[in-house]
Amino acid sequence: MSRFRRHQRKVPGLNTAALPDLIFTVLFFFMIVTHMRKVTPMVQHVVPAGTELQQLKKKSSIVYIYIGKPKGDTQTRIQLDNRYAEDMEEVERYVAAERSSMSAEDRQQMTVALKVDKDTPMGIVSDVKQALRKVGAYRISYAAVERRRDKM
Amino acid sequence: MFKRKKRQVPSLNTTSTADISFMLLILFLVTSSMDVDKGLSRQLPPITPEEQREELTDVEERNVLQLHIMGDGTLMCNQTPLPLRQLQQRVVTFVGSEAERPKHVIQLEADRDASYEVYFEVQDAIVAAYHQLRDQQARRQYGKRLQHCSPEQQQALRDYYPQRIAEVNNSTMATARQSSAASSEKGGRP
Repeated sequence: MSRFRRHQRKVPGLNTAALPDLIFTVLFFFMIVTHMRKVTPMVQHVVPAGTELQQLKKKSSIVYIYIGKPKGDTQTRIQLDNRYAEDMEEVERYVAAERSSMSAEDRQQMTVALKVDKDTPMGIVSDVKQALRKVGAYRISYAAVERRRDKM
Repeated sequence: MFKRKKRQVPSLNTTSTADISFMLLILFLVTSSMDVDKGLSRQLPPITPEEQREELTDVEERNVLQLHIMGDGTLMCNQTPLPLRQLQQRVVTFVGSEAERPKHVIQLEADRDASYEVYFEVQDAIVAAYHQLRDQQARRQYGKRLQHCSPEQQQALRDYYPQRIAEVNNSTMATARQSSAASSEKGGRP
């Protein structure tokens, strides 16, 4: 009888010693290709779509200005670095302060990225542009998403 | 008899290292953003009002293409309504047929209550029109597409078709020489 006793089978355990290494690799990949988000957008902005877009190159030389409506609000606000701007002088001061904190090389090619909601009235946008001209920030970029050329 | 007992260093239990690194990975995934910033690059004109008013008086009426974005979102081109999708072609014919190319001016005016989306699309169409013209010229002159030209050739093409866009801003007029959208950050100033 005992001759037919089944040989007990065991599934060999999976060796997971290399799993941490794999995950660390993925982690380092993400650490390199991403950058930390400095500001949390408080205003809702759906940027328009365009075909003639250029990529902004150096992250350290970009100043972001968000324009849009806060959630559940009807008034359009301008957001600078986790707070709202009350008037255009504040925008000017902010851009000037950002520029003075940059390195000399970044200052040369400082770009102001305007992340503006589609439905913003042009009055606010041109006021901001006027403020930027006053402080000498001439290089701007209207943030947008890519659209296929033939869909125009 | 006195055989030493073989000692073994107990191995470290590393089962949870994977969990720890997963936590780190998820932290980085949440806090960082991978989106590349894209946008329509423009060069604003410096503020010197007197000088620019003079500059504009030199421009003859026939060299000006007037674009006006009304509050309700319609686009007026030389006082007549123009659908947005025809704007690019309109600008191409205007700039392309101009006998004195370096003298043309596109005057862009937006009402204060016009929507930003229309304004952006107008800007995009104008840049696309310039891009189309430069591309045509590149094929004619160098026999290749614009993006395959050398930086010097691209600069020459930018000089050939300079972007001359004047924006009317709060009743002050300023000639904006816009930076080129055709290539890198070297401004396409005429």
